[in-house]
Amino acid sequence: MASVARAFRPIASRALAQQPVAPIYRATPAFRFPRGTRSFSQSPLAQLKKYTESHEWIELAEGGKTAKIGITDYAAKSLGDVVFVELPEEGLEISAGEPVGAVESVKSASDVLSPVAGTVIRGNAVLEDNAKTINSSPEAEGWIAEIEVSDAAEIDALLDEAAYLETIDGEH
Amino acid sequence: MLQRCLLSTRCSSTRQWIRHNSSFPVSRFAELVRRPASQHQIYQSLSTDPYVNLSIEHFLLENAPDDSSILFLYINRPCVVIGRNQNPWLETGLHALYNDRRGSSPENDTAVLVRRRSGGGAVFHDEGNLNYSVISPRTAFTRNKHAEMVVRALHRIGATNTSVNDRHDIVMTPTEPAQADKEEPPFRKVSGSAFKLTRHRALHHGTCLLDSPNINDLGRFLRSPARGYIKAKGVDSVRSPVGNVSSALADSFFSMQTVIDNVVREFAGLYNVHPDAVRRARRALAVDPEVFAGDNWVSGTVGEVQGDQEPDIAKGIAELRSLEWKYTQTPQFTFSTYSHEEDPRERPSLPSSLPPSTRAFLRLKHGAIIESNISLSSDSSVASYQAERVHELLNGQKLHELSVEHWTGILRQGFDTTEADYGHVQALAKHLGGLLDGH
Repeated sequence: MASVARAFRPIASRALAQQPVAPIYRATPAFRFPRGTRSFSQSPLAQLKKYTESHEWIELAEGGKTAKIGITDYAAKSLGDVVFVELPEEGLEISAGEPVGAVESVKSASDVLSPVAGTVIRGNAVLEDNAKTINSSPEAEGWIAEIEVSDAAEIDALLDEAAYLETIDGEH
Repeated sequence: MLQRCLLSTRCSSTRQWIRHNSSFPVSRFAELVRRPASQHQIYQSLSTDPYVNLSIEHFLLENAPDDSSILFLYINRPCVVIGRNQNPWLETGLHALYNDRRGSSPENDTAVLVRRRSGGGAVFHDEGNLNYSVISPRTAFTRNKHAEMVVRALHRIGATNTSVNDRHDIVMTPTEPAQADKEEPPFRKVSGSAFKLTRHRALHHGTCLLDSPNINDLGRFLRSPARGYIKAKGVDSVRSPVGNVSSALADSFFSMQTVIDNVVREFAGLYNVHPDAVRRARRALAVDPEVFAGDNWVSGTVGEVQGDQEPDIAKGIAELRSLEWKYTQTPQFTFSTYSHEEDPRERPSLPSSLPPSTRAFLRLKHGAIIESNISLSSDSSVASYQAERVHELLNGQKLHELSVEHWTGILRQGFDTTEADYGHVQALAKHLGGLLDGH
C-alpha cells in the first residue's frame, strides 16, 4: 500500500504527463477516493455529486438549493503542489462554464469553472491559509466555493462518476 | 491609421494576387486563428507593448482550435512582469518603475508594471529579451517540452552550455571550469517559464535573456524597499543569478533574428509544421502586420492593429492596463513596522526623524486597507486613540491610490487633536509613502 501511495505523489516535472495515474485508477478502484470521510456520506444519493469534463465536481446539499464546487482528485494530482487558491467573493453571480476561482501550482494558473449557474455564498476560507488542502483532500475539505444554485436541473445534465472517470481514461 | 487604410486597400483590390502567394488581409487574422484547419500557427509581434502582446497571446489561447499548436514570439519594452498571484509592493521596486498610479502614459523607456494571467514569479523584460510562447493541446503537454525546444535552438546558435533545470527554467553553466572564478555562481538563469492551463489547452510562455543591456541592473526593478515589512499570501518569486545568452558566445556573431529563426525551426520540427509556414515565418521582417495561410497553417506578423480590430483583444489590453488588475488583484497581505504574531521578523530601524514609539501596521485585502494600527505616542491610551482616528480615514482606501501627499493629508487629519508633533506626522507620511509608493 505504501508503494502505491508513493506512486501517487505528484511529481512536478511530469505533472501533466498523466501516464502513471490511469492504470492505478483502473486497477485499484478502492483507492480512487482514499479519504475516509466524504462530506456527502450522510446522503445516500450518490448522484447528488456530479462532474465536468474540465475536472470540477459539484455536490448538491440536502434541500437542493446550495452546492459545493471543487476540483477532482485527478485534477489535483495532475496539477501538482497547489501554492495559491483564488476564491470568489460572496454575491458573485456566475453562469455555467465561468470561472468561480483559480488554482496556482508549479507556476501554472488554472481556472476553476462553475459547472452550473448560481450565486456565490462563500469561498472556502481554509484554503486562504492552507492552499495545500486541495492536494490532501480535493473532494472534501478542499472544496473551493459554495453557491446557491439557480436551477438544480442543470446538475442532472452533468457527468456522473462513472462517465467522468471514462473521460479521464480518454485523455491517455 | 493611414497605414492601415493603405494596407486594406491593397489587399482588397488584389484578391487574385492574394490567392497565389497565400497572403491575407490583416483584418482576417481572428478568422484564420479560429479556422478549424489552422493546425499550426506561427506569429511574431511587431509591437513592444507588453499589454498588447500578452492580450494577443491570450486571444490565441482562447480562440485557436483545441488541437492546434501555436508559436508566438515577441519582445517587450522595458517592463517588470509579475505572476498572476503576486504582490507588486513586495516583488517590484515601484520607485524604479513608471508611476501608472498618477500619470497618463509612460515617457521614453521607463519600465512599466505588468501583471500577467499565468502563474509564477516576477521577471524583467527589455529589448534584449525574447519571449516565446507555445500554446498546445493540454493532453500532450509537459512543463519541460517547450523549454527543451528553446534549449535545442540555443544549442544551434552555439550556446551549448544551456539546459533546463528542475524549475522548468533554462540555465547556463560556466563553459570551462578553468574560467570559473570563485565569484561565479554555479549557474545563471537565462529563461523563466510560466503556464496557464485551460480545459483543453496549455500555454507555456518563457523569457529568454539573449542580450539585455540591463543585465547587471535588474535588481533595481525587482527589489522592494518594503520587503522587510510585508508578509503576503500568494506566490513568492525565487531569486536566481541571471545571465545573457550572448555572454556565452564571445567569438560568434549574435543576432536576435538568428535565435528567432532557430526557435521557429525547432518548433516546426517538434510539431511537423508545413515548410511554407516556416518559410513565411522566417521571412517575417515586415514593418506592417502581414498574415499568410495555407491549408493547415497560418504565419505572420501581428501588432497593435489586432487590438484595434478585435474587440476581445482590446478588452484584454484594457484589463491588463487597468490599476484594478495590476494592484487590487493582489492577495491579502500585511505591512508592519514592528514584529507581530503573523510576521515576527526583526524590522529595519525607523528613520531618526521618527520617535521610537512609532507604530504602523496595515492589513490589506484586494489592495484596500481593512485594518490598521498607526500611532506615534508612547502613551498607550493616546496611541490607541490615534490609531482609531487614523483608521477611520484609512479604512477602505486603496493602497495604490496613496501617494506621499495623500498620506500627509490623511495622517495630518487623523493626528489632529491627538497631541502629535507636526514634524513627526510629516516624517511618518514620508516614510510610509516612500516604502509603499516610492514616488
